Amino acid sequence: MTSHAGGATPQTPRQRPLVTATDKVSAGDWREAVRKAASALVDAGAAGAGYPDACVRVVEENGPYIVLTKGLALVHARPEEGGLAVGVGVTRLAAPVEFGHPDNDPVDLLLAFCTPDPDAHVGTLAALARALSGGLADRLRAASGEDDLTRTLKEAVPND
Amino acid sequence: MALDRQLEILAVCGVGMGTSLMLKMTAEDALRSLGVDARVENTDVSSARGMSPDVVIGQGMHTSEIADLAPVVITISDFLDKEGLEAQLREHLTAQGWLS
Repeated sequence: MTSHAGGATPQTPRQRPLVTATDKVSAGDWREAVRKAASALVDAGAAGAGYPDACVRVVEENGPYIVLTKGLALVHARPEEGGLAVGVGVTRLAAPVEFGHPDNDPVDLLLAFCTPDPDAHVGTLAALARALSGGLADRLRAASGEDDLTRTLKEAVPND
Repeated sequence: MALDRQLEILAVCGVGMGTSLMLKMTAEDALRSLGVDARVENTDVSSARGMSPDVVIGQGMHTSEIADLAPVVITISDFLDKEGLEAQLREHLTAQGWLS
């Protein structure tokens, strides 16, 4: 975890997001893929133990809309479901899974995020959106391994 | 512009803070390219029901639930497809007389 005790200005709780990466993850279905993507945030200390199941429920209750572009799902739940810090993780699947999305299946890449409140993540997610528009998904697909995935994702969500 | 005020645009998704935020960014880019003065907000489908925007944008699984919410309801499936959204906005806003 990052440790900048006393380094940040108290009024601006904006902090560098925790970034994680997991590669060659095997998942039998979308539920397992979502759970594993969100679990990486739990392992990093960014989310509580209940977060992965909450992320699965988001899709069960609202449909596969989190598959926001071809092959890519944005895994997330509400902050009160266990967001402890702003965290972003990329999970690359060993084999793609179907979410049941009318246009964007199958999914091979999952970006999971969590946030402690409804606003803390906005800067990070905005940066992520810009990066995705600039070809981030393809750069993540081309990454050589977990270290490269982490590096690529960190470049996309700088400490602004 | 035929509209003498800022256009109110609502990006919707299930939770209202992740996917719809991505969509808001894409919509803002598209509107900037079109030269349209608009304010874009993002929210979840349930909260959207209490609002009265000019334009709603979302995936079909959500826009079908709030098809009567606004004069213009735009359905897209790729939230990062700025060109596709721009084309739909141009068509719909022109049809409303909000873009000439």
